[in-house]
Amino acid sequence: MAQNPRIRVDPVSGIPVVRQIADSLRVLFVEGQLVPGTALPSVRRVAMELGVHFNTVAEAYRQLAAEGWLDLKHGRGALVVPRVIPAVKNGAWTEDFRNRLRGMVAQMRSQGISPASIAAELRAMAKVVTRT
Amino acid sequence: MRLVLCAVYVSMGAVLSAIPNMTRRELLFAVPVPPAFRESRAGRHAISRFRTAIAAAVLAGVCALLLSPAELLNATAAAVPIAILLAFVISFYWQNRKLAPAAVQYTRSREAELTAAPEELPRFAWLATGPFVILAAAARWLYLNWNRIPARFPVHFDAGGQPNRWAERTTKGVYGPLFFGAELCAWFLIMALAGWFGSRRSRSRSVMLGGVIAIEYLLGLLFALIAVQALLGIPVWVIALSPMVILIPLIIVMTNKMSEPREPMDPTPNDCWKGGIFYYNPNDAALFVERREGLGYTFNFANRWSWMLLLSLALVIASAPFVLA
Repeated sequence: MAQNPRIRVDPVSGIPVVRQIADSLRVLFVEGQLVPGTALPSVRRVAMELGVHFNTVAEAYRQLAAEGWLDLKHGRGALVVPRVIPAVKNGAWTEDFRNRLRGMVAQMRSQGISPASIAAELRAMAKVVTRT
Repeated sequence: MRLVLCAVYVSMGAVLSAIPNMTRRELLFAVPVPPAFRESRAGRHAISRFRTAIAAAVLAGVCALLLSPAELLNATAAAVPIAILLAFVISFYWQNRKLAPAAVQYTRSREAELTAAPEELPRFAWLATGPFVILAAAARWLYLNWNRIPARFPVHFDAGGQPNRWAERTTKGVYGPLFFGAELCAWFLIMALAGWFGSRRSRSRSVMLGGVIAIEYLLGLLFALIAVQALLGIPVWVIALSPMVILIPLIIVMTNKMSEPREPMDPTPNDCWKGGIFYYNPNDAALFVERREGLGYTFNFANRWSWMLLLSLALVIASAPFVLA
């Protein structure tokens, strides 16, 4: 039996927990591990498993609903919905994307990760991106 | 009767002394420590000091019980377990404070499985209805033998084993203990369900559920015995020692399961544990978390439902004078 997808939260990473939850779920949506029509567990259950407050999970769900990934119906939980991909002006996103990547690479290097390992990870990531 | 009470208090001291062994190796006096710390000089010293304090309280209590004059026996019998518990709490807290500077924070990331499937109870959970069947069977048997029940029978005994309170053959006098037992069992049933649905998924959760159900059986059997003794005249020492039949195997099984768990420790923040015993974390949605001392789970006191459950227990206990003869 296939395992259900999981999200992970690191309480000492320094990244706000709301963002960690929203980012993890967004990755699962983009990679197709959570397809439209899938019901997400209740806010209460996710909060309990992650050891965080209900509001933290509710806020992450609301952010994703605002982005168009989720449909939040009162009493029926959160449902993954088909998302209309917004039109992007050519080239406008690359500056922001490169800046974020540079920031992340600098952070990894400052933690002692070798440039070769980072490059290998980026190549592996590129393969995943072209597949999805 | 004095010897029976001594046996009960020595058993109580033995169980309390074993508490450092009833937790994971990463915990000592509710302080998270490296797994090898227990075998270190400081670890062994802390355990030995803790046990010495409890042994001294038990020894003093047993001497007081054996030497006290008959007129002071009831008071002594009531004071001894309180003194042993006090020695335990003070000694535990003292060791907790002493080891606190050596605490390590286990910071493991937490995972949540993304399934909307409803949470299901394990198959053995139906056993939780058993104690109600036992109490109902006792009630039925008393009903069928109503005319054989003495018009007046003892319901309370002093520390010397002599009856000091009687009840009449009335509905309240005969069925009262069964009704009170049912109230307590119902409370533990609610605790079992709240514990299952209000804590994180883990293997320890099943152990906890099994433990609560076993306590429910203990209470069901105890109150059934108390009720039928009106007719059978069961010796009071049999009733006093009967909980041990369930309690001792339960402690052994739970210690084996909980002290060598297959899962890592729940990384609850150290600063949310008050005295190593009380967990208060308003940012944790869990109602129950794995305890850091002893066996099983404990309340998250920042969750208002934990106070509701404790209030309901207080109400059950407060109902005793109205339910029991």
